[in-house]
Amino acid sequence: MAPDELLARLSSTLRHDIGPAVVEPFPKTQAFMASVVLEKLSAQIRLASAHAEAEATDLVALAADLPPLLGTAPVPAAVAAATDRLAAGDGVPALSALVAALWAEREALGPERFEAVLARARITMRARIDRQMEYAA
Amino acid sequence: MTGGQPSDGVAVMEERIAAYLREQLEAPDLALSGVERIAVGWSHETWLFDATFTRNGVTRTEGYCLRRDPGNALLREMSDLGTQFRVLRCLEPTAVPAPRGYFFEDDPAILDAPFLVMEKVPGVCPSPWGRDGRRFYEEAAARGELPRAFTDALVTLHTLDWEAAGLGFLGVPEPGTGFALGEVAKWKRLIDATGVEPDPILVDLIGWLEANAPATDRRALVHGAYRTGNFLCHEDKVSALLDWETEVIGDPMYDVAYVLSDLNREGTELLSNLVERDEFISRYEAGTGIEIDMNACNYYQVLYGMRSAAFWMSASGLYADGRNTDLRLARTAWSIPVVLDRAARDLGY
Repeated sequence: MAPDELLARLSSTLRHDIGPAVVEPFPKTQAFMASVVLEKLSAQIRLASAHAEAEATDLVALAADLPPLLGTAPVPAAVAAATDRLAAGDGVPALSALVAALWAEREALGPERFEAVLARARITMRARIDRQMEYAA
Repeated sequence: MTGGQPSDGVAVMEERIAAYLREQLEAPDLALSGVERIAVGWSHETWLFDATFTRNGVTRTEGYCLRRDPGNALLREMSDLGTQFRVLRCLEPTAVPAPRGYFFEDDPAILDAPFLVMEKVPGVCPSPWGRDGRRFYEEAAARGELPRAFTDALVTLHTLDWEAAGLGFLGVPEPGTGFALGEVAKWKRLIDATGVEPDPILVDLIGWLEANAPATDRRALVHGAYRTGNFLCHEDKVSALLDWETEVIGDPMYDVAYVLSDLNREGTELLSNLVERDEFISRYEAGTGIEIDMNACNYYQVLYGMRSAAFWMSASGLYADGRNTDLRLARTAWSIPVVLDRAARDLGY
């Protein structure tokens, strides 16, 4: 049995067989909460591979889109460093660093570049949270 | 349960509480009855009991509530029982409905952890998230008195002369953006304390909040979590405001935003499952003389997204690193994306 299927089955047992048989309120709540945790973990594991692949593709696309949006004007060092990290495949931490650098350097970037780059980064972030919502919601 | 229950059990805990109160109240015959640890909140342990003792030849029974800091609970880093006790003492002579604070002890030798003892105020505190609680507030809303009391208690809180009450010790934010930026910094500290790399959306959210902080000189005692489930109701009145864990001197719109938020109601248009929006706004404005600032409220509602993310990161971290075994905390790991999804929508994506 695949790990995600096993977790889903454990979740079902806790929800339908164990939880209802527990009398004390606190352990009963804990049994149902364990069921919820296992259910979400099961879905997260089931989707993990596809999500990781989609995320990697999105981050490569983002890294490719950034240079034209940043243009030829000087780019603040923190933004440039985060962009380089993204291009080097540094993943989500590089995306966080980019967003932090954009807000920190927004005056230096100017409103047009700031808005353009942030809007592009937000497309990647939206896709990422949509994927997470598939198992978290 | 790790840290949740005293290691030596409820009976021993009961005897230790009784021994402490015998000494404090100079009542060697004091006995406890109806001792229960109630399963409310995620921060401090809460124990309720009655104490019967003789004083001046008269036997009396008084209700008490004891809150103990297990040292491993949500908001551990942000909420201090000593501060809560001082707030309760400051509120005692005021019109704000709050339990009277009796004792605070920082010495772990007494009950293994800091604790405070306060008045057990009559009333019930149904959770608005459950079916029974929703029905309770629905019926109270239909009767009409509790919704008015809910608004009036907030009016009382926000019109309190907090300086005269001695609450300046909580810290007074700088004029302008001081309050908003102070709150952002506070919740950022909680996020940093988790040691977890913040999600890019959370980084974006914090950037937006820092760049768009509203300037205001409004100052009031702010509860920080003003909603049903955080106060006691008795005979359709607010008998006591509870959960003084996020209180702060700051913009009263912070509380108003929380009331107006749809985070605090389920399956109803009633604010906090209790009060009509228009009725709340008109009664609040008439009572306080403060015009509700919707722009500020909108900002604070976004800020609540950051606060929620900080809560859930902290909560799930407590479980993940083995400091707390309550599975409700483990569950919150999946609440973080839900909060961030909403935050992204608030920011327009």
